[in-house]
Amino acid sequence: MIPSLQESPLYAMANPASIAFFGASNNYGAMGTNILQSVLSLGYAGRLYPVHPKEKRVMNLPAYGDVADLPEVPDLAFIVLPTDIVIPTIEACGRKGIRRAIIVSAGFNELGEKGRALQQELLAAARRHGLRFTGPNCIGVVNPHWKLNATFLPYEGRPGFIGIASQSGSFVTQMFNYLDRFGLGFSTGFSLGNEADIDLVDGLAYLGACPHTKVIALYVESIRRGRAFIETARAVAVRKPIVAFYVGGSEEGKRACFSHTGALAGSDRLYDGIFRQSGIIRAGSIEEMFDFCYALGAAKAMGGNRLLIQTHSGGPGAAAADAAGRAGLKLPKLAGETLEKLAPYVPRTGSSANPIDLTYTKNPLDYFYSIPDILLHDQETDALLVYFLASAGMVRRALEGLGVQKEEVALHAEKIIADQCKAVASLAEKHPKPLIGFSFLTRENPFIRGLQDLGVPVLAGPERAARALGAMAAYASLRKKLL
Amino acid sequence: MEFIQTALAQGRKSLSEYQSKQLLKAHGIPVTREILTNGVEKAVQAAVEIGYPVVLKACGAELMHKSESDALILNLKDAAEVRAAFDQIMGRRTDTGTEILVQEMIRGQRELVVGMNREPQFGPCVMLGLGGIMAEVLQDTVFRVAPFDHNEALDMLQELRSKAILGPFRGQAGVQPDELARILTAVGEIGLGYAAVQELDINPLIIDPKGRITAVDALVILKSI
Repeated sequence: MIPSLQESPLYAMANPASIAFFGASNNYGAMGTNILQSVLSLGYAGRLYPVHPKEKRVMNLPAYGDVADLPEVPDLAFIVLPTDIVIPTIEACGRKGIRRAIIVSAGFNELGEKGRALQQELLAAARRHGLRFTGPNCIGVVNPHWKLNATFLPYEGRPGFIGIASQSGSFVTQMFNYLDRFGLGFSTGFSLGNEADIDLVDGLAYLGACPHTKVIALYVESIRRGRAFIETARAVAVRKPIVAFYVGGSEEGKRACFSHTGALAGSDRLYDGIFRQSGIIRAGSIEEMFDFCYALGAAKAMGGNRLLIQTHSGGPGAAAADAAGRAGLKLPKLAGETLEKLAPYVPRTGSSANPIDLTYTKNPLDYFYSIPDILLHDQETDALLVYFLASAGMVRRALEGLGVQKEEVALHAEKIIADQCKAVASLAEKHPKPLIGFSFLTRENPFIRGLQDLGVPVLAGPERAARALGAMAAYASLRKKLL
Repeated sequence: MEFIQTALAQGRKSLSEYQSKQLLKAHGIPVTREILTNGVEKAVQAAVEIGYPVVLKACGAELMHKSESDALILNLKDAAEVRAAFDQIMGRRTDTGTEILVQEMIRGQRELVVGMNREPQFGPCVMLGLGGIMAEVLQDTVFRVAPFDHNEALDMLQELRSKAILGPFRGQAGVQPDELARILTAVGEIGLGYAAVQELDINPLIIDPKGRITAVDALVILKSI
């Protein structure tokens, strides 16, 4: 744990007031140019100093022939240069007084023996100047709250609450569009690459202290500082959830080491234990990692493992119930008082068992407010999962049926949908338990978009939503263990 | 532990079963009552002291897999059986310096394994697994990195897929979770406390019908430091 964000070596990387940029030119094919374009297109508000041996201007910015000529000592050097000039550049940056660098250039440890020696040389050069760096062989950094996107692809989404530290080169930047499809975004993301200097533990500590980060995602290939990782994670996890996706654990991956029981000691199981000891929830896939982050970051914390499911269709409700059971959740019966309050809302064709299947509700606001309100009041439950089928088309059809003028239908429909979304969101706000939605509809549907934009997580389908609730219950018990 | 230094000085790669269990016992891990002997009459005397039935095992530094080298005879009920077993084990042995370990006979259908190994990036890691003949088929193991506290050790029990065998089981009593947790934290302490202990393997750790846990066999692999 770090006492404050400013004390992290990553602070100047995610919040630089000025950047010296090496490797951008006016050639649009170059990697460096692409990254500088990303920086410019998100509207970075700090000072940018392209350094280029020949060009006088780079991307319409005045360029400098030598880092020594810069009018100030920038907070950060961003380096996308050919391998053989990286070390001299680090030396020059050090002499200028620059103390942070992001080294995108590859050609180091990942190449084997020869690269390892070069990486040692790079590290030694940086240490001589007290310069800390991420990479080499990484993709950069993104902090949309600082309007900084120093990565390969343009940032398409909004500033969000998911912090990520990734050991995969370009994984972070590839997820921009994926998250945007749920109305989500990164708070801050670090690509760490070869971790010659700054590593996953530093990334975790930074995100743990970052006020924009509500939940932390880790893409893990190997944990280099084991003890420090566990201690840092345990300190962070009591305050915010951490979800990890680990890819190095197949049974074939590593040889087991226990003497008699050697065959049993698959490193996948070792990492299961390490994550659990660290208070970290392990996700089985990239989609699952972000599903878990979505629910954990957007909804209230879950206190236990009891879930109520509200649906107006049997199939999705049963699918959610089955997936919830597999995810370790319990579906309690409704308390007597809840049953009494609910009775007027449940048609004869419906069911008050859990899942609560309302089949058809005449007044939509019953489904969106009164019924979930009663269910969230139930003392025997820790969370509510609601199936959202509402289609904008149905609302428009109903309005037309009521004789509303054609030109006014769209306007009325928009208002009705907005009111329904607000009703749901007000429940999520009012109750201390999580309210999670699932649907087969996407953000193209104004109702789903409205809910998501008001902070109600709506996940893609019953199984994914139920597993995310399983992760929320797991976080509750991990946290209890750590406290 | 003096015998660790002695073993290292002699260039040995492991501790004997007897010494391995002395190390466990010193850290509060329940082990079989046992006496190391070097003659047939001493073995009979030891058996009387421990109480029948007993087990006889060859005990030597380089004897790592006893069942594979016919060095183990179970369930000896009287002096005549002890004498016969002694002759049988010693008769087969060609190595010098082998002694006989007379040990109480622990009965229990539930077997666990507990181990410690050093991972380069994490240091000593403790493993708890389901033991017995199906262990390698079921591969039910959980790990923690030392040091870890009692709560974390209790959580290891919860993580075991076959945790039901730790509770009341087919008319037999369940284990005391605290007792098993203490064994796990103690193994972690051994890993942290003795740099020369490269690996530790308790196999089996038997749960008897009353729910008591006993380390029945143990092996410490050494590494010169």
